[in-house]
Amino acid sequence: MRDYWASRLFFDLQAPTLAAEFRADRDAVMKRYPLAENVRRAILDDDAPFLAQRTNAYLLRYYFFATGMKDEEFIRRLRGG
Amino acid sequence: MAELVGAFAASHGPLLVREWETLPQDQKARLQAAFGELGRRISVAKPDVIVEVAPDHWSNFFLDNIPTVCIGVGETNDGPPEPWMKAFPHRELAGDTDFAMHFASTALQNGFEPSLSHRLKLDHGFCIPLWRMGLETLPRIVPMIVNSIEPPLPLISRCFEWGRLLKKAIHSFEKDIRVAILATGGLSHSIGEPTMGAIDEPLDRECIRLFASPADELLSYLEKELPTAGNGTAEIRNWLVAHGAAGGRGFELIDYLPVPKVLVGCGFAAWQV
Repeated sequence: MRDYWASRLFFDLQAPTLAAEFRADRDAVMKRYPLAENVRRAILDDDAPFLAQRTNAYLLRYYFFATGMKDEEFIRRLRGG
Repeated sequence: MAELVGAFAASHGPLLVREWETLPQDQKARLQAAFGELGRRISVAKPDVIVEVAPDHWSNFFLDNIPTVCIGVGETNDGPPEPWMKAFPHRELAGDTDFAMHFASTALQNGFEPSLSHRLKLDHGFCIPLWRMGLETLPRIVPMIVNSIEPPLPLISRCFEWGRLLKKAIHSFEKDIRVAILATGGLSHSIGEPTMGAIDEPLDRECIRLFASPADELLSYLEKELPTAGNGTAEIRNWLVAHGAAGGRGFELIDYLPVPKVLVGCGFAAWQV
């Protein structure tokens, strides 16, 4: 299953300027995308397992990289830690 | 007539750039040597054109439109868009429209339907091997993107057939040019899934053994194993294009080493063509 708008957000966040803006104010950036409430919540909570069911694995990694999260922490979250 | 002068394969991965300086010294030295040996062999082969086979890591395509195979037919392609690839020395890479169009036409005449792009961004999958090989001058690069990122993915056997087709296209191109193939990606790795970081060394070593065996055995093995392997392992499809172009023969391993710090079972190979 693919959540189009979450995937679109993650894809767009590969642009460094948008990624910087997102790190400063997630809500402001997310408002530009018609995200479902549970998806928006999962993004705010860094809920990797929830998001992993809804987007491509590479995009998910890029997203967490864009937020500044280290791979070690990303992996821990993916495993539900 | 054009001539196939070499077929090569090398792993790629963002951490081969981002973590390069922090790699264990012995692993870094082996990676450097393997990339360097590929660079040396490519220099000796003197290709005018490299058909480079790699996935698109969400640099060109999104869920709106995901080609299974895309041939870059433009006169020029862009260098890598990733900010951490800024030091890559080429912002633009020359293509070869005549050969790429001939490749595309040959494909269509033979029942293969690639997508075409007149300008692609060549992301780290294309550019890390070119960079690390240290080629003094880059031949013209004809990109061939094979989707190994977003399912459904092409059949293993089809990728092998694409290689045969590529060889046919090279041998039927009327210009007197030298063409090499460089497949990038693999071997085993797992990205953005709970097994992220896992390297399946037994699978890698079995693949390496089977690349030197009759192709049928390799294709059957991969059709069976890839669906449950780490998702990045799917990039072995690119190696199969090179393998098909080489007629499923002449495989030579240059080096293989699992590198946990870059999350990839790193393989380097050449085919005697």
